Amino acid sequence: MKTAYIMQKEIRESILTPKGFLWYIITSMILSALSYLFLTNSELSLLDQGQMLYRIMNFITALGVLMGLVFGADAFAGEIERGTLEALFLSPVDKGEIALGKLGAVLTNWGIIFAISLPYLFVVGKGEQNLLIGIAYLAILGTFLAIIFSAFSMGLSARIKSMKNSLIISFFVFLLAGAPIFLSAAQRSTWFGRILDFINPFAGAINTFDSVVIDSQGFSYQAWRVAIICGYLLLSLWFLKRSVSRLEM
Amino acid sequence: MKKLILVLSMIFLTIIAYYTSASAASRIAVSINPPFIQANMGDKITYVGTITNNSDRAVNNIIAYISLVNVTPGKEAPLDLEDWSANKAIKVDTIPPRGTYEGQWPMRLIDSGSYVAYITVVDKNDNTPLSSDMSHLEIKRILRLNPNNVLPVAIGEPVFIGMVFMVIAFRRRKRVK
Amino acid sequence: MIISVENLVKKYGDYTALDGLNFTVEHGDIFGFLGPNGAGKTTTIRILTAIIKADSGNVLIEGHNVFKEPLEVKKINNALPESNGYYEWMTAREYLGFFANLYGEKTSKQDIYELLEVVGLHGKEEHLIRSFSRGMKQRLGIARALVNKPKLLFLDEPTNGLDPKGRRDIHDLLINLNRKHGTTIFLSTHLLDDVERLCNRIAIINYGKIVRAGELDRMKGKGTIEDIFFLSTKEGTL
Repeated sequence: MKTAYIMQKEIRESILTPKGFLWYIITSMILSALSYLFLTNSELSLLDQGQMLYRIMNFITALGVLMGLVFGADAFAGEIERGTLEALFLSPVDKGEIALGKLGAVLTNWGIIFAISLPYLFVVGKGEQNLLIGIAYLAILGTFLAIIFSAFSMGLSARIKSMKNSLIISFFVFLLAGAPIFLSAAQRSTWFGRILDFINPFAGAINTFDSVVIDSQGFSYQAWRVAIICGYLLLSLWFLKRSVSRLEM
Repeated sequence: MKKLILVLSMIFLTIIAYYTSASAASRIAVSINPPFIQANMGDKITYVGTITNNSDRAVNNIIAYISLVNVTPGKEAPLDLEDWSANKAIKVDTIPPRGTYEGQWPMRLIDSGSYVAYITVVDKNDNTPLSSDMSHLEIKRILRLNPNNVLPVAIGEPVFIGMVFMVIAFRRRKRVK
Repeated sequence: MIISVENLVKKYGDYTALDGLNFTVEHGDIFGFLGPNGAGKTTTIRILTAIIKADSGNVLIEGHNVFKEPLEVKKINNALPESNGYYEWMTAREYLGFFANLYGEKTSKQDIYELLEVVGLHGKEEHLIRSFSRGMKQRLGIARALVNKPKLLFLDEPTNGLDPKGRRDIHDLLINLNRKHGTTIFLSTHLLDDVERLCNRIAIINYGKIVRAGELDRMKGKGTIEDIFFLSTKEGTL
């Protein structure tokens, strides 16, 4: 119950604010531009519909991860810097409950981004046979990735206690995770590229989207990637728990 | 006498050489159809290449492929067909004597402009590849203003989110001082 | 007794903040905890309020072991830290309502309004905290510290930065709390005037150790409170 109060406070502080809504308006404007460009008769529009859907799913996932990292960096370090964490610690709430409440707010934010993206996915993927299964994978893997990266960022925030430094490291992690996108197909097929793909949960998710939406492959092809992502999920939650339990003023 | 033998040998060799080289050119013939296409961007078309074996011997292991060249003024260049066509080259195992082979090259028209298409046949036993006549291809650009009904979503959703925010902000401003 | 501290030690790396602290506080005391800057006052309060752990020692609050039952301890006490931040986007009512929920207190709007009246913030319930002056924020902080009707209230420099009227108002509030509601008050400060006006018992801490403790009136018999403080905390006293 106390987790719910913390979550409610976080949502009101970060999401139901002018800044929070600005993020959502910008997100929907970018999705509007992307969808329109994809569908109107330009060179881009001659992409296969599966390709269009795949690219929009990647963008949405990347955005969810990025916002999770930013929220996470502020979670503890921001409260310490604003002087509000001590009052929270004085109250009879377990540190784990505080962390869970903040994680709940991050997931709420992801849920809103996902809800915003749904109409675009339906419009771009209209008639595409893998639309619904693609959306299901986006919902599940996107949620897992939001938890992984925000839990990691929150744990970092609790350890470093500096929002600026947490944010810098989180952005660096985001670039590392997104590295596969910057590599060419040839580079990704090298031993280094393959290892990066294998260990990177973000790459695992986008490769799964590729496999499901474009290649129409079933769950058995995705099982090992999903397993790796689940492994990262448990690892990130463990890291958060340990970081928060050691947090002292 | 010696002179006569020399001349006759030269004539004979010339005839053989001519026959050998001429046989490559005259053994296979290739044509492309249709000779002219006018279509829109995004359309799917199919070129049919007909390879005819004009000789009395079977022709084996030949490769036929299609090429597309952009002849739009200012954009002249051969095209990389990766996005246009999945099967660019066809390997034909054998064409019987006096037989024909018809190959199909389906294509998706990716970009607008003026193009020429032709089919080339390669026989590894010959020195010279053989090309068909050119087929002319005119692709028109068509502007679609509201494909898949995207506009209501593209315009409506940001506006909707903005309105939700304004309602929340207004209600809070009314309550707090 | 409500607080019992035995041999409390806290180190930060090589630096020893508390070096075998021993003292007790009785029910109903307004207990003054004095010391120069860096003596260990804030560290002591943070340990007693179960925010940080000690390296060794024993602390009992109303019979509960602070290290083994931190949540139980937090339910019966509350504190106003020296540098208390606020959720400035909240109204005063929302702020108190939030913390009341965390303490499991079923507080109605009326209860919150009454609490705000006690601390002198009547009429400011629906005002955003960002519009509050420093003194008003301090009062709000005290209101938050009272939201669970604590038996024991820790205050770390509560009148810091307040004007004379603000200080007097806080003094009156604390005296009222103590006399009417029986709240034990643990007051950490280096403002000797506040100690003189409010406290019945004091302890003086220096370099992580209690250098003097006892009833204020008895100690004052040997000089002014200033004399006692400076004598106890001068270099070489330990």
